[in-house]
Amino acid sequence: MIFDVNAHVGHYPFRSLRARTAAEVVALLDRHGIDRALVSSLHAVFYRDAHRGNEELWAEVQPWPKRLVPVATVNPKYAGWERDFATITGEWKARAVTLVPEHHGYTLDDESGRAALTKIEAAGVPLLLTQRLEDRRQRHAWDRAEDLTVASLFAAAKAFPTLRFILSNWAGLDGAKLADAGLRGRVLIDFARLQVVYREEVPKLIAALGVEALAFGSHLPFDYVAGSLIKLENLDFLSPADRERVAWRNAVRFLGLEEKQ
Amino acid sequence: MNPARRSFLKTTGALGALALAGRARPAAAESNTPTAAPPRGLPANWRTLRKLDAHNHVFGLAHRPNADWAEVERLVAAAGKLGIDKLYCSRPVTAGVMANIELVRESNDAVLAAMKRYPQRIGGYCFVQPGNGAAALDEIDRCVDAGMVGVKLYNQFKYSDPAVFPIAEKCIARRIVFLGHSAYLTDPRTLALQPKTSNALDFGALSRRYPELMLVLGHINGGGDWEWAIRALRDFPNVYLDTSGSVLEDDAIGRCVRELGHRRVLFATDSTMEGCVGKVLAADLSPEQREDIFWRNYQRLLDRRTA
Repeated sequence: MIFDVNAHVGHYPFRSLRARTAAEVVALLDRHGIDRALVSSLHAVFYRDAHRGNEELWAEVQPWPKRLVPVATVNPKYAGWERDFATITGEWKARAVTLVPEHHGYTLDDESGRAALTKIEAAGVPLLLTQRLEDRRQRHAWDRAEDLTVASLFAAAKAFPTLRFILSNWAGLDGAKLADAGLRGRVLIDFARLQVVYREEVPKLIAALGVEALAFGSHLPFDYVAGSLIKLENLDFLSPADRERVAWRNAVRFLGLEEKQ
Repeated sequence: MNPARRSFLKTTGALGALALAGRARPAAAESNTPTAAPPRGLPANWRTLRKLDAHNHVFGLAHRPNADWAEVERLVAAAGKLGIDKLYCSRPVTAGVMANIELVRESNDAVLAAMKRYPQRIGGYCFVQPGNGAAALDEIDRCVDAGMVGVKLYNQFKYSDPAVFPIAEKCIARRIVFLGHSAYLTDPRTLALQPKTSNALDFGALSRRYPELMLVLGHINGGGDWEWAIRALRDFPNVYLDTSGSVLEDDAIGRCVRELGHRRVLFATDSTMEGCVGKVLAADLSPEQREDIFWRNYQRLLDRRTA
């Protein structure tokens, strides 16, 4: 069983993606032997009204409730976002919420960011933060988004001490500093941009934060998936039970989903 | 087969069995169930497929007394784990520095020390800067005589610059590979830091002048618009490219093969070892194409040295 916590559905404005619809993403999961994925809407990143992207995503994943777990995107600068948030976390029972401050024009520590983080913390849902969708060295002229910084993450973690984070597509994470920021037990990190062998970033994070802090992630459909499958196989220094936790159990537990598989 | 490879195969077999056991499920009867066929995930033999990494690095100064070998040892261990038979490494002087020839020699000495310690696993490229003039040409001779297989240039000069021509001519004379750092940078801030980074058209200009040069555009996915680079390379059939880089974007390898032909594509990692093995495994390739990319295309270039 593999649960991918770093996956997306939709068109991306700056590059053609081969899997765009939920059906195409499910086919991609099948091809790579991945059973389940936490999926965010790319449309919700780029629409002015992000919630329309959420509505599309929820409708699109409906045929695959056991395969695709949708993440809701919140834009705290948009009119009526609090009502949308209540719908997302209440009626829709979203398992995670994501903020994309670089694309929606705010920061995690300004008034909009703090308002969103306050709501998310109070709702008790994990906050998914994607450090970047693609490498800025190849950016389109209209793509002005910078990578989220570790400093902004730490500031949010300290200001909202019970907020839980899913860190998706991050690199440059230091386990000791994450622990110092109070994130031990509050964070789930996917290894799409981290290495198991050679740079050994994944083993170092496991040593600092415990095996419960790591999860399988591939950044599909942007990236080739097989590198993440290799990383999972390279976790052979873990017990089979711990490897299974990284493969799927940590994700299921963090998201409050049914553990029985 | 060496002992490390044997123990490695044992581990792989065990893991493969575990993975199969963990994923076994009835054939799909509903849309929520993954389909059973075609085969899913990684090919069973992925670790034992032969691989030559045409672009990698050693970063430390391993030639110095009491040197710390930890980084090189991790590199070699990772290669063993991933089934990479040999890593062809250099140690460029980076960060915009135009180094004196002593510093350049020291960088190459570090690679030579790694080659000496791990002769089966590490091969070498000679890092040179055209700005060092005749001393750069002498350094190439020194390094090739010591067993290196090519030169590695960084971003001190664009490759269309006439200052690079003597280096290209030396490579032709010695029948060695010319591997060049490359990117088509669209981010103004990055471009400002590396104004002389060569893009695919600079490689093309050099190739037009020296069609017999074994010219390799380094890391198609090393940062920069790789789609632009592939399109640009269509007009320059003598330029090879390597697949390395930290960007692992889907279909990059497929696009290279469809637009340029798989014979021009060389497997490499440039330190992103798991991801770069993964993208060649995941790309839509025939088994023969995959083998050519993983090692045979590069071996053909190496064989030209003695042809």
